[in-house]
Order: sequence, then C-alpha cells, then structure tokens
Amino acid sequence: MAPAVVITGLGAVTALGGDVRALAAGLAEGRCGIGRVALFAPTGRAVAAEVREEASAVVGCLPPATARRLSRPDRFALLAAAEACRTAGLEPEFGRDAGVYVGTTTGGMLATEEAYRRRRAGEDPRFRLSRLLGTPLATAAAVVSQGLGLYGPRETFSTACSSSALAVAMAADAVRRGVVPLALAVGTDGLCRLTYAGFDALQALDTEPCRPFDRDRRGLSLGEGAAALVLETDAHARARGARPRAAVLGWAATSDAHHVTAPHPDGAGALAALAGALADARVPPDAVDYVNAHGSGTRQNDAVEIGVLRRVFGRRLARLPVSSTKSQVGHCLGAAGAVEAVATVLALDDGLLPPTVNLRHLDPAWDDLDLVPEAGRRAPLGVAVSSSYGFGGHNVSLVFGRAAR
Amino acid sequence: MSVPVAVTGLGVLSAFGHGVDRFWAALVAGESGLGPIRRFTAPPGAGPAAEVPAVEARAHVRSPLGRRIDRVSLFALAACRLALLDAGLDPTELPLARTGLALGSEFGNLDETTTFLDRLFARGAANQLLFPNLVMNAPLSYTTIELGLTGPSAMLSAGEVSGEAAVAWGAELVAEGGAEVCLAGGVDELGEVLHQALHEACLLSATPRPLDPCADGFALGEGAAVLVLESVAHARARGARVYARLVPVAGFALPAPVHGWSRDSSPLAARLAPLVADADAVVAAASGEPELDVLEAAALAAALGGRRALVTAPRAATGWFGAAGALAAATAALAVAHDLVPPTLGHLPPARHGLGVAAGRARAAEVRVAVVDGLARGGACRPLRFEAP
Repeated sequence: MAPAVVITGLGAVTALGGDVRALAAGLAEGRCGIGRVALFAPTGRAVAAEVREEASAVVGCLPPATARRLSRPDRFALLAAAEACRTAGLEPEFGRDAGVYVGTTTGGMLATEEAYRRRRAGEDPRFRLSRLLGTPLATAAAVVSQGLGLYGPRETFSTACSSSALAVAMAADAVRRGVVPLALAVGTDGLCRLTYAGFDALQALDTEPCRPFDRDRRGLSLGEGAAALVLETDAHARARGARPRAAVLGWAATSDAHHVTAPHPDGAGALAALAGALADARVPPDAVDYVNAHGSGTRQNDAVEIGVLRRVFGRRLARLPVSSTKSQVGHCLGAAGAVEAVATVLALDDGLLPPTVNLRHLDPAWDDLDLVPEAGRRAPLGVAVSSSYGFGGHNVSLVFGRAAR
Repeated sequence: MSVPVAVTGLGVLSAFGHGVDRFWAALVAGESGLGPIRRFTAPPGAGPAAEVPAVEARAHVRSPLGRRIDRVSLFALAACRLALLDAGLDPTELPLARTGLALGSEFGNLDETTTFLDRLFARGAANQLLFPNLVMNAPLSYTTIELGLTGPSAMLSAGEVSGEAAVAWGAELVAEGGAEVCLAGGVDELGEVLHQALHEACLLSATPRPLDPCADGFALGEGAAVLVLESVAHARARGARVYARLVPVAGFALPAPVHGWSRDSSPLAARLAPLVADADAVVAAASGEPELDVLEAAALAAALGGRRALVTAPRAATGWFGAAGALAAATAALAVAHDLVPPTLGHLPPARHGLGVAAGRARAAEVRVAVVDGLARGGACRPLRFEAP
C-alpha cells in the first residue's frame, strides 16, 4: 500500500503579507490585497494584487553577488521556501536529498523586459548578462535548491495557471513512490508588463478588484507572489517529530485539447481531473467538505467550473462550501496552485473556511450555492479539494485531508 | 510495480533537416549543422549557427485554431507527428485519454515575445492575437489540441536539461502506469535577441570544440526532438520496432553557483560513477563552453575510472540550445539501436582528461548501454539511461 503523504511546512509571500501568518490573518479577516498597480505604468485603469516587499535576511544564504541579482519571483520563491522549511522544523541533514518542484510561468520577465527595452532604445550599448540572469524559468528552482541546500531531483513545470498545482502533485507523487524522502513544492511568479498587457488585450482583466462568482464579474485580477509546501511521508514526519498540518490524498492532471485560451465549454478536462483526483485519493464525492475553486472571476471560467462541480457533487453542492482565494490575493498565475494549496491546508488545519470577497450579487445561475461570501467562517473540515485550470487546457486537481491527530 | 519503457519512435527537427533518418545520417557522417544565419541579420563578425530548415505549417496543422501557431509550437507539433509516423502509430488511433505529452523548453517563443514587447514599448498596445502564443506551455496546448491528447501533459523548463527533463518525466509516467503512450521531448528556437545577448557577451564560438582543451565557446542552435515512449508490453503487442529501452533514473542536484557551473568535479563524478559503470557510450552535455567542458570531462573521467567508454558531444554539430538534450536522447537511443557512436565535431584528440571522445569519424561498437549525463547550470543533473531492448 502506498504511504500517506503529509504536509509539514508552509510558506507564502502574497499581497496579504510576507508570510503564512499574514496570509492566514488576511484570509480570516476577508481582506482584499488587490489595489492599484505600482510596479510599472500599465495601460488603462489597472488593479492587481502586488507584493509589498520587505527586506529579508533570508537571501543571505546565497553569495552576496547572487543575492543582489535575484529577480523578484526568485526572491519570493526563496522566502516562501525558507519559511516552509523553517516551519517544518527541517534540519539541514533531512533536507539534503529533498526534491524541489517548482511551478512558474514568466520567471524574471519584469527585469528582462527592462533590459530589453534599454538595449533596444540604445540606453545600453550592449546586453549585460547580469541583468538577464533571471530569464530562464529554472532559475527559481536553482535559487531555492542552492540557497537551502536541497539536493534531490529538481523540476520546473510551466503549464500556465496550473503550473504549481502540478508541482505540488509531482512533489507528492515523488514522495509517495519513494523517489525522495522529502519534497518541497514551490509556486512563484511576479507581475510583469508582458502578462499584464496580454491579459488586458484579451479583455480578461476586471477594472475593479475581481469578483469571482458574482453576477457582475468582469474578469480576473492579476496577482503575484510565492507559496511553498514541505511534503513527506507520514512515517518520515513522525520519525523526526514533525507535526503534519494536512495530508495530500490524491491528484490528477488532464488536458482539454480544446483551445489556447478558452476553457472547454463542458469542462470535460476539468471534470476528468477532479474525478481522477478523487479516485486517486479513494475519496467519494460525498466525503468532500470544501472546494477551493480555481474561481478566476472571468465569465467563462466561473460558469464552466460551477457546471463541473454540479456534475461531480450533484445536489450536495448546495451544502458544500466553495470559495475563491483569488478574490483576495489575485490570480498569481504560476504561483496560484501553491498559494491556493496553502490556503486549503490552512482551512483544514485551522477549521476556518476562507471566503470569496467582493461577492455582492450571486449570479442567479448558482444562487443556491454556498460561495462563502465576504467573510470566512469556522467549520470542521475533513477533506478539501483545490483545482487549477491553465491557459491552453492544462487541468490539475488536488485532494487534501485533515491530518490524523 | 513499474513497467519497462520502450522507445519506439523518434521525430527530429534539426539543422540537418526534418526526420530522424536525415538527423542520424548527417550526425554519423560527421556533417556540421552550422551555417550562416539566415533568419535575421546577425551582427558583423557573428559566427555560424544551426538553423532548422523551414517547416510548413500546412503539413502539420489541421485545426482552424492552429493557423496562428508560432514557430516553436510548430516545431514541437511537427516533431510529435514525425515521431508517431516513425513509431507506426496513427494519431487517430491513439488511446487519447491514456496518451501523455511532456515537452521541455528553456526559452519558449523568443521571436514573438520580442515582437510583442516592441509594440508594447513603442505604442503602449498589446497584440491580443500574439499573447496566447507567448505562454511557455503554448507548444503543449497546440500539440494536445492538434492531436486530441487529453491525458496528463506537462511543460518543463530546466535550463540546459529541458529536453532531458521532459523525456525523463514521460518515461516515469509510462513506467508508473500513468499513461500507455507518452510523447516526450524538447524544443527551442534560435532567437535574434538571445543570439545578440550571447554574442555581445562573447560566449559564442565560430568553431565549437567540445571536450577539447582549445574550446573557446559554443554555437547557438535550435531544433526539436520527440521520443515515442510506451511500455515494452504495449510495444510488443503491436509488433513495434524498439530502438532502446529507457530506464528511469533519478535526477539530482549538487552544490554550484546558481547561475554557473561548479568548479569541483568530484561530487559529480561520485554521482555519475554508478550511472556510467557499465555504459558503452556517453552522450555528453559539452558544447565547447569552457567551464562546462572542464567540469564534465573531469567528472566523466573520474566516474569511468579508466574504463573506456565512447563519449560523443552532438551539440558541436546541432548547435547548443536549452532543449538540445532531446536530440542527445535521440542520439543515445539511435546509438543503442545501430551500435554506432557518432563523432564529435571540432574535437581534436587528445581529449581533456584522456576521455575516449569519438573524433573524426563514427565508431562502430556494441552499445548495450548509452547514458546522457544531462548537466545544467546551477547544479542540476538530469541523466537518462538507454539500454538495448
């Protein structure tokens, strides 16, 4: 029988704050981290969930020249990963063979854009490689691995908005199969002009902070940040005296094979991912107590997603709380899956449902549902699912369970 | 629990042309894929690069949506179609929900990214038609759509081992029963701005000499290679030709500068030793980049411990690019299938550390085990091991 995979450490850097404590408090209070874009001058009236960076001593684990040149998302990744290892009580000798599984979409694009603009405009007489070091997506994994001394397998996944949900699934898979004794799953992404302008051009952005599941929803709000989770077998955690915060029960990844930007109209791939993850977890739909939705706030996504949930959970969906963490931290793209996995683990561990904020008028198509509007609430939870649907039709569902006490 | 995995098809787009036969014939004959750059106006004094001859979208794209396909995605799709054809698999007869796809790329769509940014900087406007092509997973989306694949899919980006990482992911998927068939490989393109940045940093060489003490840089290239992976049982049941078995081995990492190569080869040698202990051929990562060459030659020499294994470094002929490891994987599978190790272009003996580098001409030798060592900047190592079926 496959061993149980548990989560023993969490880390997060989001618009709600620089650590998990700040994220948990923001989720509990129903705060919205979405505001005006300050990082660059976007076109039009623009909002996003930006991370307000604070100086951190954590980057000191790298040589000064490397630390100085880290891109924002590489820094986010390192901070979140260090927090996850610290809260997992990880001593260096336990981490040595740990795998690092990262999900990201644009890496250090913000700095790369600027270096490119300067060179094109003639402001720089030649490209300086030191300004382009954060361009390859694999850099974040190298930063985390070298910074924290984690020398197991290293993988970087990029399946758009499901990138780090896939990273969590692959980390859990490696632990379950015994490939690694311990794994760190990380999602990270930083806002950049390219992503912002691209989503804006597709008219996918709400000019107000996004309103998932609302009748008047107009699109998503971009976010940024990083989240990290330490995964290991239950036996490994207990042997080193670590407290499991939750268990990863199952996962599945599927492809829509439908469209480069739009979701499948029937959500066929999303349905297969959710059903597959529940089957992998050996959990019947009736046992699920909470759904942390993809909930991007676009007209299409939310409608398709609710349709999928109705087909999986049937009439029981009316009593099953569903919420969108993107309403508070924005759509963190490559980091979204990991951020939402952390939110889901916190919900299970603290018995506190995170809300869907900015939800003032339920869409009449689902006014029978419990979308946890505006404020979180206490609820004992046993099993929760988190789904992420990537641009281009790459779907991942994760099933988490409360850790045995 | 895990099942043995067979390589039953290869699809390669390289500077030598389209298709695995052209690739292998040229590589074995010691041809160079390097030539003058035609895709863009290279700066004065720029050396040669390896360009893939134009791929006709019409030959590979069937869906109306695919008309907007970008060059990198088209390379990936074409390599997948060629690999299926080579494997004798009709795309319409694939078990779609049980077919996986794993693609690796370091930089994805370079050309359209700069086009998009140029317009954004000049006019503050974005091209909505281009944006969907700029996400790293665009090749994955287009290929799943064109082939109708609904099974597990993953885009991996692992720097210099992006190709190896995807091939390894696909092998594990099939070995663990997550899919019956998996298309796995990598793709990267020769982008003007990437070339400019590397040229201005003086990293490029007109004559790459991998594993040669005179190495002074690498040449940029592009291409795609995709392997059809299926369980040995599945391959036997349909009477498929098997190039080689792909035996999953774990990747690992070693202390190294985040953006560079380690100067200490002994930890790498210790980790590579069990992998190459019975290897008849090693497909090296060496590209002519001095820091990598020094590390790899010392580590391989120590790992082999005096035992002779034929070492070949195809990046001298195919050019260096992030997903070139997919071509290295194809090279290893072909070496096993044909008992032939292609030469390393530009290399003049003696090699660094007395390595048995195949130079000048191809070597016929029994190749029961071929290893791709898979080295990347920042200390990642993603080896692949191919064995005779």
